[in-house]
Amino acid sequence: MSDQALPITPATARGLLAGIPGVAFILLAMIVVFQIGNPRFLSAVNLANIGLQASLLMMLALPMTLVILTSGLDLSVGALIGLAAVIIAALLVAGLSIFTALAVAAGAGLVVGLLNGFMISTFGLPAFVVTLGTMGLCEGLALALTNGEPIGGFTPAVEAFYRSAVLGVPTPVLVAVAFYALLSLVLYRTRFGIYIIAIGGNKDAVHLSGVRADLVHMAVYVVCSVSVALSAVLLLGRANSAHPTVAIGMEFEAIAAVVLGGTSFEKGQGGLFGTVLGVLAITVLRNGLNLLSVDPSLQVVCVGLLLIAALLIDRNRKRVVTRIAE
Amino acid sequence: MTTTQASLLPAPPTVPIPMLVRLAMIVVICLALSFTSPAFATIDNGLNLLRQASLLFLVASGLTLVIIGGGLDLSIGANLTLCACLSASAIKYTGQPMAGVAVSLVGGTLVGLTNGLLINRLKIPPFLATFGMLWVAQGIAYWFMAGQVIYGFSPAFRFFGSGFWLGVPVPIWVMLAVGAGCLAFLTRTTVGREIYIMGANEAAASLSGIPIARRRMLLYALSGFAAGLSALIYVARLNAAEPGIGEPLLLPAIAAVLVGGTSLFGGSGSILGTLLGAIILTLIVAALNLLNVGSAWHPFVTGAIVLLAMLGDAFAARGTRR
Amino acid sequence: MPKLLIVTFAVAALACLGSSRSALADGEVVAAFTKNQVDPHFEGVRAGVEQMAKKMNATVRQYVPTKPNNITEGMSQLEDVGVTRPGVILFMPIDPKAQLPTIKRLIEAGTPIVNYNDKAGDAPYISFVGEDDYKLAYDVAKTLFEHLGGKGNVVILEGVKGSNTGDERKRGFDAALKEYPNIKLLASQPANFQRLLGLQVMENLIQQFNEIDGVLSAADASALGAVEALKSAGRTKTAVVSINGVPEAVEAVRDGSLLAIAEFNGFKIGCVATEIGLRAIRGEKTPKRLMIPGAIITKANFAEWLVPYDQRTCPTAESYPAE
Repeated sequence: MSDQALPITPATARGLLAGIPGVAFILLAMIVVFQIGNPRFLSAVNLANIGLQASLLMMLALPMTLVILTSGLDLSVGALIGLAAVIIAALLVAGLSIFTALAVAAGAGLVVGLLNGFMISTFGLPAFVVTLGTMGLCEGLALALTNGEPIGGFTPAVEAFYRSAVLGVPTPVLVAVAFYALLSLVLYRTRFGIYIIAIGGNKDAVHLSGVRADLVHMAVYVVCSVSVALSAVLLLGRANSAHPTVAIGMEFEAIAAVVLGGTSFEKGQGGLFGTVLGVLAITVLRNGLNLLSVDPSLQVVCVGLLLIAALLIDRNRKRVVTRIAE
Repeated sequence: MTTTQASLLPAPPTVPIPMLVRLAMIVVICLALSFTSPAFATIDNGLNLLRQASLLFLVASGLTLVIIGGGLDLSIGANLTLCACLSASAIKYTGQPMAGVAVSLVGGTLVGLTNGLLINRLKIPPFLATFGMLWVAQGIAYWFMAGQVIYGFSPAFRFFGSGFWLGVPVPIWVMLAVGAGCLAFLTRTTVGREIYIMGANEAAASLSGIPIARRRMLLYALSGFAAGLSALIYVARLNAAEPGIGEPLLLPAIAAVLVGGTSLFGGSGSILGTLLGAIILTLIVAALNLLNVGSAWHPFVTGAIVLLAMLGDAFAARGTRR
Repeated sequence: MPKLLIVTFAVAALACLGSSRSALADGEVVAAFTKNQVDPHFEGVRAGVEQMAKKMNATVRQYVPTKPNNITEGMSQLEDVGVTRPGVILFMPIDPKAQLPTIKRLIEAGTPIVNYNDKAGDAPYISFVGEDDYKLAYDVAKTLFEHLGGKGNVVILEGVKGSNTGDERKRGFDAALKEYPNIKLLASQPANFQRLLGLQVMENLIQQFNEIDGVLSAADASALGAVEALKSAGRTKTAVVSINGVPEAVEAVRDGSLLAIAEFNGFKIGCVATEIGLRAIRGEKTPKRLMIPGAIITKANFAEWLVPYDQRTCPTAESYPAE
């Protein structure tokens, strides 16, 4: 992790470089390649697009980082955000205020988060399975509530919110940035955050040291689910409709973004900034491939290569770093 | 991890009580459905359902081995797709079903070996390595097929998917054979027992001399092989190979393994469990169709069943664990 | 290891750059959207678009989501295509509501859009080019019912709930059913236009019902899956009809496994939509709506649909009645 100020000598330069996740280099390389391929890549319009597209994935991947730091996983986020979108849309169409709708959606997120947290933390069930189950519950509920059809026809204020900008920066991007700042604060500057990282390393130790590890563990899932549910408003703004299964599959992309950023399942290492880079890498890749209108089947291969490449770089540099340390 | 260090003795591969619970679930569902619909409790329907379950089981069989050994394979669906497309093409090109069989089995194993390499040599976590392979394999399949479907195979080949032997559909025989093979492997060979130890506690397994890397390669190769074998059965059953064939199979396969009682932490579980899990999931879908429950409810019910199975296991294990 | 990495990455980058159509081409660029790389119907659409564009000296860029029918990717691709400023966009919706906001903004920003294949909501498109799903379903259902002599048991394999195409076809089937009181509908279940689902749903229906005389399928893939199920259960007398007309299904008609197909011709749709789009941006007058009539493909007339795409000629807009 990043250190205090040190004189920039060659040794510390390499050390600093080692702190940057491998995906950063790939991101840089991609930006160069795509700009060559299409000079409009770095245009204001496209950058705004990238920001908007990344913001939703960011809202899923940032809390996912916390979950993965506890050596857990939350597969239900894609289904949950769809369910939340459906709930908000339905309530808006029924005439309720946006605040009521958001509150209900947050409530749904709370229930799911508690369900996840309870089973994973208190019962010790594997996170993968539990959240696979809750994913099914959320998806099923969303489908049943809508009979598979999207809901539209709610107040245009939602879309206006999504499309609004402050000083030229799209609002959703600001929301994501604010969320990142908030989570960084929580993770790196509060005791709660320290416990989260510690649980990933050795939950029993945390428990033995007197901390209510179970509660912290559960809280992580609750935070994740509630924030995901509230983020549904971004989805609604973008599509101006709520489709029950629109975000199914995003959970894997969120997880990929987190792991790309260097957070590992094994030991509670890694961080939020890495996740930001991971999200950007995935979004930039897709955007660039579209801009270059690369053959669709190749696009699919490229996504896989991105993942593998980023990890290779990380592995490689870890070996370099340990050699330096000797 | 939250649980204390697992004992170094190999855990008994099958835990009787959870298996009985699952059998009971199957019996209960079947009884309930027989009352609702007279056409349900016939041998024909039973075979029909078993055949559907066998397709799911075959995909999940290799995955079971990998998970018991402490890993995860997300690429099985895409692997199946790629093998199906390549082998179908080989059959059309050479006119020989055996060419397709060879291509599918070899191809699937190669993908599995690549997974193993990524995890062993390049130290990529299994989730990511196999997730990356998923995209690569799927992309190759899309590029190879160029939006087309390969269809129309010889009766000799289709026999493996749609044929009957001694009155029982062929895929069920394949399922039994693969199941028996996996069972024998896991319970009767040293390597099999090593897999359990490896999944339970890799560090201890390594210290006691088990060649982790080699065993891992074997497991992922087997998973790939199973995907290749399943691909053949699917193509034979559908009489077509299309690039979308394997995509929806991943999560049901994982669900089948987990509903079957195999723990994602590794070190415990059984192939019998996966078999029962596959049957339970198939029954659920059939039940929902029979009861004319809207297809919208399918994921909900499947999710609920997965959770209930987990909770059931947790309660059963409470006595021994804490 | 680093060398291997750099080489692999360089190869991938070159492949991507190489396969990319020239991003700032002079001359008109047609951006064609299709829903997936899996269904041969869309391959037909893409083939039609390419042929007509070549004939009219324009370039094509294909946009297909990496995950079949993925709405989010569909939205992202629309947003991204705006940056490249193509001459005209040919658009079919994965979800008619979700992509509408972006479509509207693209039209407002001055990009002309032709809506083809299925309806994409209410927006000022240059034109809509498609076929009447309702009528296709109605016509082919009547063909089946006539074949059955006006009485018998039938089942419906629906499409994806909530999709325009699926809903319209179901409406057509239902309308035909109303006119034949002695045809009994045993069950109607979604098969999501997919082959495996069509097969398994049919398998279960076969178990449930002893006598099924006819199957109405919303798409070829499900129908072909159902045919497999029927064959292996020995129910050769059951007649199956579907909608679409991809080569494999036409061969099934030739061989007698399918009774008839209502033609939903992706190739023709692609051709005509491209022509209308290009003519519109070249300042010519174009029809606001063009419904290509669909024939009923039977054993008597199937040959024309077995011709490979590169040997077919693109029909032009004139060949169809103006509205």
